[in-house]
Amino acid sequence: MISCDYFKPSEVGEALKLVSQFKERALFAAGCTNILPDIHSGKQKDCVLIDISDLEELTGISKCGNSMRIGSSTTISELLDSSLIRDETPLLYEAALNFADPVVRNRATVGGNLAYASPAADMAVPLLALDSRVVVQSLDQGLREISLREFFVGPGKTVLSPSELILRVEFNLSQNFKVFYVKVGKRNAMAISLASLGLALKIDQTIKDARLALGALAPTPIRAWRTEDFLMGKFPEDKVMEEASEILLSEINPISDIRGSREYRVELTRSLFKRAFRAILSGERGLS
Amino acid sequence: MKNYKLVTIFVNERPVTAPVEPHESLLDFLRHKAGAVEVKCGCNQGDCGTCTVLFKGKAVKSCLVLALQANEKDVRTIKGFTGDFLMEKLQESFVRNGAVQCGFCTPGMLISSYAFLQANPQPTREEIKTAISGNLCRCTGYKKIIDAVEEAAFGEASTKKATSSGSPEISEGQEEVKGTYLLLGGG
Repeated sequence: MISCDYFKPSEVGEALKLVSQFKERALFAAGCTNILPDIHSGKQKDCVLIDISDLEELTGISKCGNSMRIGSSTTISELLDSSLIRDETPLLYEAALNFADPVVRNRATVGGNLAYASPAADMAVPLLALDSRVVVQSLDQGLREISLREFFVGPGKTVLSPSELILRVEFNLSQNFKVFYVKVGKRNAMAISLASLGLALKIDQTIKDARLALGALAPTPIRAWRTEDFLMGKFPEDKVMEEASEILLSEINPISDIRGSREYRVELTRSLFKRAFRAILSGERGLS
Repeated sequence: MKNYKLVTIFVNERPVTAPVEPHESLLDFLRHKAGAVEVKCGCNQGDCGTCTVLFKGKAVKSCLVLALQANEKDVRTIKGFTGDFLMEKLQESFVRNGAVQCGFCTPGMLISSYAFLQANPQPTREEIKTAISGNLCRCTGYKKIIDAVEEAAFGEASTKKATSSGSPEISEGQEEVKGTYLLLGGG
């Protein structure tokens, strides 16, 4: 039997009081695109739903100097409707375009996607590549900033304490990166990623900076640190790409599941990385 | 012990007040409390799109919204568009193009298409395909649905070439009646 309760706080402070009162039973409800299927499937039976969907403090996309701020209850559709996101963060824009389907995008939120911490979370890949920080708040720990690279600890698990609420995601805009995002699923819409990859390279004769984020290829979305280190300072040529892809394969740890086998995901990763690398070099979709 | 809360939701501008459980979906409220059975329940987990309604001006899957989140808010189902120029154009186009087969996906398809055309009145075919990609049709009638949305946007002449002999010729008066019945949904 399902036993849930529901509260609708009118401001963040009230939401934080409620969550500190109910602790592990508390669930922040915004888009509910994961909560309701989990309730229907019996995965979630006993919870206190704290409805944050109308809290203005959690909305909005803004640019403050060199820093971009995205409120946690920003929907994926709102990202796509934002000229700031489209013009300044093509990696995030591309990932949003490939997120679920247009109707689900009207409800699913950036904060919810991160908090649910699926290894295949489609917002995590671009936000990891953008070196994002997650700004969270709770009554006992106050306001704190967590680097997204330290945020995920396992499938469905984050470093958040049960009483913390994600307020927003922030990242600094970096110039002159060329980026490529690719997601592979069983179908075009409503697909859970088999693998997704976001690559950002800053090239001035040699590779000056490299960022590579991956989804659905490890227990959490990850950055491929060793591959990035290897790429730094190298000439962007085929030999480097081949070597980098070998290093990359040692950094991932995919599982076999209903969507694909481990072996398939490994080969897929190699091919997606090369596709991204070549696309950036050829300037195809060379989004800077 | 059941923990009911009272909500009032404006379903097609008619206020419906009923007790709901905290985890109850807007879809369950619409079908079981508001009698709005034109909203279909397919997968009940956000995959199929048959339960799509207009909420806060956007097409949403009502199985993914808590009934309590719609408290004091407007929800439009396919029955809430009487006299709406764009929706009537879409419905007529669905009928003309044979875009309705079993009809189960139709209410959701129409609402997704409606919200899409409102924001993007002159779409490409690719954009139409993306727009309805969250709505499944298991009669595999996508081509005719895409034709219908395209024709609603650009007028009848625009798709005559594309569909050529695709749609069956049925006398218009007869089809109107049948179509209207199908599109409103029965049970």
